[in-house]
Amino acid sequence: MTSAQTEISEVDSTARFPLSLLLAFAVLWALAGGALALLNYAQTLDPALLADCALLTYGRVRGMQETALVYGWAGNAGFAVALWLLGRLSGAPLRSLNWVVVGTLFWNFGVALAIGGIAGGHGTSIVLLRMPAYVQWFLLAAFAAIAVPGVLAWTGRAHKPMFAAQWYAVAALFLFPWLFSAAHVMLVVAPLRGVLQPVAEAWFAQSLWTLWMAPVALAAAYYLVPKITGRAIPSYDFAGLGFWTLLVIGAWTGGRHLIGGPVPAWIATIGIVACAVLTFHYLVVAINLSGAFRRSGFTLKFVAFGVAAYVLGGFADAVLSLRSVAEVTQFTWMSQAQSQLALLGAFSMIVTGAIYFLVPRIANQPWVSTPLIRAHYAAAVIGVIALVGGLAAAGIVQGRDLNNAAVALVDIATHTRPWLLVAAAGQALLLVGNLVLAAHLVRLWTTKPETPAAELIREPHAMEASAS
Amino acid sequence: MRNGLLFFVGLFAALVFSWAGVVLWPNQQLARLAPLFDENEGKAFPLRAPGLAAQGQQVYADLGCAVCHTQQVRRPGFGADKERGWGEHQSVARDYIYQTRVHLGESRVGPDLANAGGRKAPYDEEDLLKLLYAGAGGMPSYKFLFEQRSIANRQPSDHALPLYGNLTPPVGQEVVPTHRARALVAYLLSLKQTYEYPEARPVEPAAPKEPEKQ
Repeated sequence: MTSAQTEISEVDSTARFPLSLLLAFAVLWALAGGALALLNYAQTLDPALLADCALLTYGRVRGMQETALVYGWAGNAGFAVALWLLGRLSGAPLRSLNWVVVGTLFWNFGVALAIGGIAGGHGTSIVLLRMPAYVQWFLLAAFAAIAVPGVLAWTGRAHKPMFAAQWYAVAALFLFPWLFSAAHVMLVVAPLRGVLQPVAEAWFAQSLWTLWMAPVALAAAYYLVPKITGRAIPSYDFAGLGFWTLLVIGAWTGGRHLIGGPVPAWIATIGIVACAVLTFHYLVVAINLSGAFRRSGFTLKFVAFGVAAYVLGGFADAVLSLRSVAEVTQFTWMSQAQSQLALLGAFSMIVTGAIYFLVPRIANQPWVSTPLIRAHYAAAVIGVIALVGGLAAAGIVQGRDLNNAAVALVDIATHTRPWLLVAAAGQALLLVGNLVLAAHLVRLWTTKPETPAAELIREPHAMEASAS
Repeated sequence: MRNGLLFFVGLFAALVFSWAGVVLWPNQQLARLAPLFDENEGKAFPLRAPGLAAQGQQVYADLGCAVCHTQQVRRPGFGADKERGWGEHQSVARDYIYQTRVHLGESRVGPDLANAGGRKAPYDEEDLLKLLYAGAGGMPSYKFLFEQRSIANRQPSDHALPLYGNLTPPVGQEVVPTHRARALVAYLLSLKQTYEYPEARPVEPAAPKEPEKQ
């Protein structure tokens, strides 16, 4: 009990309800998005599936799935982790938490409205911004409300020097509204002319990843790895350089999606060069977070897999953006493999690790069952590998066939089918893993808090604020 | 990093820098792209699409067609776009200046549609409507864009689809495309990149000079 009291401070316990609410919504959307994704792969394998149902047309299900996973799961889970980190690192309880509760309710109402709107035919067909135009301002307002305690925690922090986790979390909180509203204006309110639209879309899709999702995941990793291993981050001096490389160069890589397209060639060239330069950032992250691979406890296992996926994805981007490679892999399942590796491999794994770390602390009670965590970990790891590997293999087959005009499109579908089956199996496993997490959370929240998390938690409270 | 204000300004500068480079700079280059007047043909290209096509573009967007179809032809020699009959030459920025929403697309599960309205093979409104109704290969059928109704007490519709084989509707019934289906097909037929702009022509390598004969 005593060791628990040093760890479970009011920093965590005051935020119990708002953060639990965010996590509950996150897991619900992960389940909904996973089910929709599975339906989408089933439709790829059998195009006649639900084809008569206008609400569940293939193209719309893709949009619904993407919105549920990116704005539902990644949004809610990212808020919870970022707010919790900023609170801890500021050394004081989060303030103005009512804003989070209100914002969370509105955000999730917005996501539900967005998915319903896409099903009803109001979607925009813009990658990562497929929700109807009328939902977009709604989400922006909800975001502002949720971010309030994070901003207050940062401006009111007890220690002026900031730790790497704070840079990333603050960057994610501040930049999302800017880039989201910029995209809204450029693509929806007053659309740019002609091919400038796809150029702006590429910029937005890339920014959403490098300036919002990746920073949230990295914030969690930069906090958890030194905290759990109890060792300083190796080559920490380079962390700042790695951070600014991501922020300054990251969004420039969007042009790689336009290789060979009807835009000036320099846009693609800059994208390719930016991908190569960005490998420096991935290298810094790999060195800084190498402690994750020491593997003690489930949080670190999840984080380690996520960091590996993140770094692998970065180097894969650099290779796949080369023109000679893009000639084959462009417009194939390979691009889907890349985005799923980023979202479900890197972001989701790191953030899930963080969830396993923070839930016992805010709820002041340990996880109910280790086998359940082990089952989730196994399902997630095998699921991501099968999903991304299957999609990548299907992409290579499809790309080669597409560049051989003698192969009919129907035959390409036959050739990629086995690999897409593997991918669908991976998606199913991921869904099972999230079901396990949901069941575990329900069990934890419904059991009475009689045994505090004393056994699980040993690190002194002093770590958090003085880690810089 | 101690100074919060400086950090915040840095974050904002990073975002503005990438936005200016990736979006604003191309905007300077492309926003004033003008149509090209061809003296021989006596008209300016690209041609304006009919109003129904603009409605069809929204149907294309809301059904998420761009998930499986691209609308961009890569230059001959880069991929096999020309060999597949998707277009004779590369798509260029000028092809898209009149489109309210540009759907370059992200993957090619189905064929490229940049020239869906300019195919050499007979490919007219009726063919496309039948394709949407029946589906083909990996493409699902979009029956909800059609209405099957009774012709018991009225004249058959002028727009009724002539269907044969196992698609034939029951006796006394007809299949009529909805307004959305007709708009979508008008949009597809408006997609034509047959005019070759100077910037779409490949740069020929300079031929080695023949020694001049006396």
